[in-house]
Amino acid sequence: MTLTRRLIVCLDVRDGRVVKGTNFVGLRDVGDPVALAEQYEREGADELVFLDITATQEERATLLDLVRRTAERLFIPLTIGGGVRSVEDIAAVLRAGADKVGINSAAVRTPSLINEGAARFGAQCIVASIDAKREGDRWVVYTAGGHTRTDLNAVAWAQECAMRGAGEILLTSIDRDGVRTGYDLALTKAISTVVDVPVVASGGAGLPAHVVAAITDGGADAALVAGILHDGVTTVAALKSAMRAANLLVRDTAA
Amino acid sequence: MRITLFDYGAGNLHSLAKALQGRGRVVAIEPNPIRAIETDFLVLPGVGAFGAAAAALAPGRDAMATAIRAGLPTLGICLGMQLMCDGSDEGSGDGLGIVSGRVEKLHARHTPQIGWNSIDDTRDTLFAEPRLGIAYYANRYVCRPADADVVIAWSVHEADRFPAAIRWGRMIGVQFHPEKSSAPGIAFLQRVIAEAA
Repeated sequence: MTLTRRLIVCLDVRDGRVVKGTNFVGLRDVGDPVALAEQYEREGADELVFLDITATQEERATLLDLVRRTAERLFIPLTIGGGVRSVEDIAAVLRAGADKVGINSAAVRTPSLINEGAARFGAQCIVASIDAKREGDRWVVYTAGGHTRTDLNAVAWAQECAMRGAGEILLTSIDRDGVRTGYDLALTKAISTVVDVPVVASGGAGLPAHVVAAITDGGADAALVAGILHDGVTTVAALKSAMRAANLLVRDTAA
Repeated sequence: MRITLFDYGAGNLHSLAKALQGRGRVVAIEPNPIRAIETDFLVLPGVGAFGAAAAALAPGRDAMATAIRAGLPTLGICLGMQLMCDGSDEGSGDGLGIVSGRVEKLHARHTPQIGWNSIDDTRDTLFAEPRLGIAYYANRYVCRPADADVVIAWSVHEADRFPAAIRWGRMIGVQFHPEKSSAPGIAFLQRVIAEAA
């Protein structure tokens, strides 16, 4: 046997609540993170991501408290992203109970943060979180929650992150985020073919077939979903049966 | 029963501490390796890098190795399992040397291995039915014990077959993360503790 393909559920959190927006704006409150996390584990999610989408310093304490409360009740891997600026921030989030930490803007600003984090905590807990937007025939990296354009080519940046020691790439298409027309398969493919670390496709899931395509056509190891679950459009079980029907190896969970 | 998690300073111990709880048990977290072995059950948790963990272990390395050899029930998870070996290609410093052999990189194109993998070829009561059949892994390195008889379960990543679990006396080592393997993983942990009680 070999590794299964993962279905990862993302909860965008702000000030202790789960919210969801479209193209990084227009936020709506969709529930309590701890209760939702436990529910998704029961339903068969393979991992969870909490993305702290505002992460001001005042809200940081709220997030760490939320991570602590979640870690005591969740027994699948938990990744925390958003607002991680330093090795101390990585340590704080891991100490609070996260298994992995997503680093986005801070890695662009200070790429050595990836090296330092991997050396101190192990590569397996450092996730390079990359937000990419298409420009003609290439993709450009954006930071600050999709607000700030950089000059980085997303494919080259993903390679650099992996080379510096990131254990995983969480790749979000800004163009597809929240619009439910499917993952950016070309972007996913462009990156999954050039890095040897797992790639998690994110942004655009609207149908079970999109999740399957992220893996079969995009070459992703895992697909991240959010809004379609929170809104009740589909379920973890339905997504996993679609993956199974497409002959993808997935983790079976007792219903 | 006192259960002590030796804390070498890196990662998430909350889920593991919670998963080990039970009636009549006290779960403690202890950063001092000498004090950590004053317990009924020692746990070496799984997050971090080998070099940093070996450095934290160094002042109490000999005492801990002696206690484990003398029969202190011990569970090593992921990096904690790797610390049972002599040393690691990941970083400098000495392991506990309970199991002779080194920690080496997975022979695979895609590393780290991150995700759920099946546990095969089990031969130990810890894997009796209901069996932990699939578990969460997050590792680039694995133990290569000199003596394959210590291996009680195997897993495969790409073409590399590596030890999923080892046993030496009352020491159990698991490369996977039972505390992150949902309900079946928690049941496995409870079985390990129950066996030692």
